[in-house]
Amino acid sequence: QQQVALQRLVFQAGAMPTKVVCLTQVVTANELRDNDEYEDIVEDMRGEGGKYGPLASVVIPRPGPNGELGPGVGKVFLEYSDLDGASKARAGLNGRKFGGNQVSAVFYPENKFLQGDYDG
Amino acid sequence: DAGGGARKRRSRWADEEPKPVVQLPDFMKEFTGSMDLDPEVQALNIRLLEISRMLTSGLQLDDRPEGARSPSPEPIYDNMGIRINTREFRARERLTTERADIISQLIKRNPAFKPPPDYRPPKLQK
Repeated sequence: QQQVALQRLVFQAGAMPTKVVCLTQVVTANELRDNDEYEDIVEDMRGEGGKYGPLASVVIPRPGPNGELGPGVGKVFLEYSDLDGASKARAGLNGRKFGGNQVSAVFYPENKFLQGDYDG
Repeated sequence: DAGGGARKRRSRWADEEPKPVVQLPDFMKEFTGSMDLDPEVQALNIRLLEISRMLTSGLQLDDRPEGARSPSPEPIYDNMGIRINTREFRARERLTTERADIISQLIKRNPAFKPPPDYRPPKLQK
């Protein structure tokens, strides 16, 4: 049980390496509402994220049409095809500045990501 | 709109700032808000630091006073002519093995862990 508790702790802290890196404090809901800005952000993420390894996907949750904030709005998910790329990205992007915001990068549980659960 | 030449704009990513040259000991990372909040990993890191310091300090590793020791056996030498059955030798070997063990555990827990340059992974048994 202790092991399980420990594992959960590690998972929450985003310390356990996974293929998915989650960037928090990156973008605001306002920026994501605008289609052009959204495209730009996706492009920037692909460009910078791709420097650390092959990207499988980039997911940036957007607010709903009526402005309602869904789970994960403000976060950016970079899914890598291997742990190596994800580890390098987490180390490399953590603390970097994106549009003036200091980004924090953590690993995100792969199973949650694959289920489309961005609320971690 | 791929046509018309992609519009020129700067990435929002700020340039990568040069990382500070001084690297904090692994157990300090907790305060830098990154990883290794795992208490077990922290304990391993602390012990690793301790052992590395002991091994490089040049201090005598076996500090039991002369009188508290049992009589020494006949000396045994390795093929370099260095005596191997001393307390010091055993103490050093014990610490070296523990150190290698800790490092391999840390690597298992965190593949991004950078082992010290002198670390050799354990040979797999044939």
